[in-house]
Amino acid sequence: MPSHEKADAQLIDLLRKRDAEGLAAAYDRYGRIAYSLFLRITRDQSASEDLVQELFIRLWNRGREFDASKGTLGVWILSIARNMAIDHVRSAQARLAGRSCSIELIDKLSMSAHSADPESIIDRARSVDAGFRNLNANEKRVLELAYFEGLSQSEIAARLKEPLGTVKSWTRSALGRMRRAIQGASAQESGNS
Amino acid sequence: MSHPEMDELYELYVLNALDRDDAFQIDAHLEDDCAHCQEGIRAALQTTAALSVLADPAEPTKDLRRRTLSSIKPPARSRPWLVAIAGLSAACAALVVFSLWSATRMQQMRDQVSVLRGERNELRSAIELLTRSDTRTVQFGQTEETPHGRVLISSTGGVVFVGMQLPALDRDKRFELWLIPAKGAPEPAGMFRPNTSGESVHISSVPAERSTMAVAVTIEPWAGSPAPTTKPFLVVPLG
Repeated sequence: MPSHEKADAQLIDLLRKRDAEGLAAAYDRYGRIAYSLFLRITRDQSASEDLVQELFIRLWNRGREFDASKGTLGVWILSIARNMAIDHVRSAQARLAGRSCSIELIDKLSMSAHSADPESIIDRARSVDAGFRNLNANEKRVLELAYFEGLSQSEIAARLKEPLGTVKSWTRSALGRMRRAIQGASAQESGNS
Repeated sequence: MSHPEMDELYELYVLNALDRDDAFQIDAHLEDDCAHCQEGIRAALQTTAALSVLADPAEPTKDLRRRTLSSIKPPARSRPWLVAIAGLSAACAALVVFSLWSATRMQQMRDQVSVLRGERNELRSAIELLTRSDTRTVQFGQTEETPHGRVLISSTGGVVFVGMQLPALDRDKRFELWLIPAKGAPEPAGMFRPNTSGESVHISSVPAERSTMAVAVTIEPWAGSPAPTTKPFLVVPLG
């Protein structure tokens, strides 16, 4: 069992018991990466700190809903964090409200669903970086616009002044390669352990 | 849209990067609890969450940790032994209060019994006095509206004073009954106070000499006086 898995399971267990030490440990484990993500998306230090605070308060309030044997704490924290950050930078009537992978869906699928790959996101950083470096420039650009700026494929096409079909091809290619890089690293990790 | 086509879109879906028509098709599958799509979304969440590490590392202020952790309120820890001690303390306190109340109540009852015993003894004395052959009875008072009553006196048994419409007294005052002899100083025969209706029955075991010519009542300090200090408000001649 990877060390992080035990750690995350323990954190979830503490959070379910409303133990403040669980939140402190979760902050120590994911606070920095969440802050980095907020800052990358909002470009605003003060807003990022407020969002970090809001994120961990939300985690505290929802902690009882995690299933320690199944939940994926990092996925939940970082998925919610990205949504919060994109919501923050977009207007109140953001398109997120119109067609979104809602926070409720993230809750449902990351708090209590069994994860075949419970590896910590932080532990995957190296493989994610490696996968990203292997993308070509166009793939990197569309991935960043989709992930950090929350643009749809049509918006990316308009931003880059490229045909929509081309942008769709780049984004699908980029995400497919990242998926394989991450899952491949996971499989390798599982095989080693 | 088929599932193989959707398989390529789940990451874009969770990033909210899909255009409306494609997103609605996945929405419809999820609303129908499509297990394939749920699994696809679940895997996509793991992939996209991992992209967060692509953000340039930044260090939040140390104060942010303190602020974040201090903004939550952990629930009070359950401490059964504290609850037990608190309960036991409350029970002990209740027992002490009950004991004190019981002791006080018991003393009050003892006092009442003592008073009743005293009254019973006085009544016995009065009954005994009434049955004595040398007992004389003298009525006093002219009307029902003024002090009136009777005096029963025995040269061997004592005196019973029964008074009605007696005046109210100050808190620190009592009536004192005197036996007035033909010669010599008045002899004190006990203190008494009327009830709220101005009635009183005073029984004195002081034997009244045959020479006693009258009884008198004065108002005296609470402790009584060896000799009258005020003019008698009532004098009952016995002759």
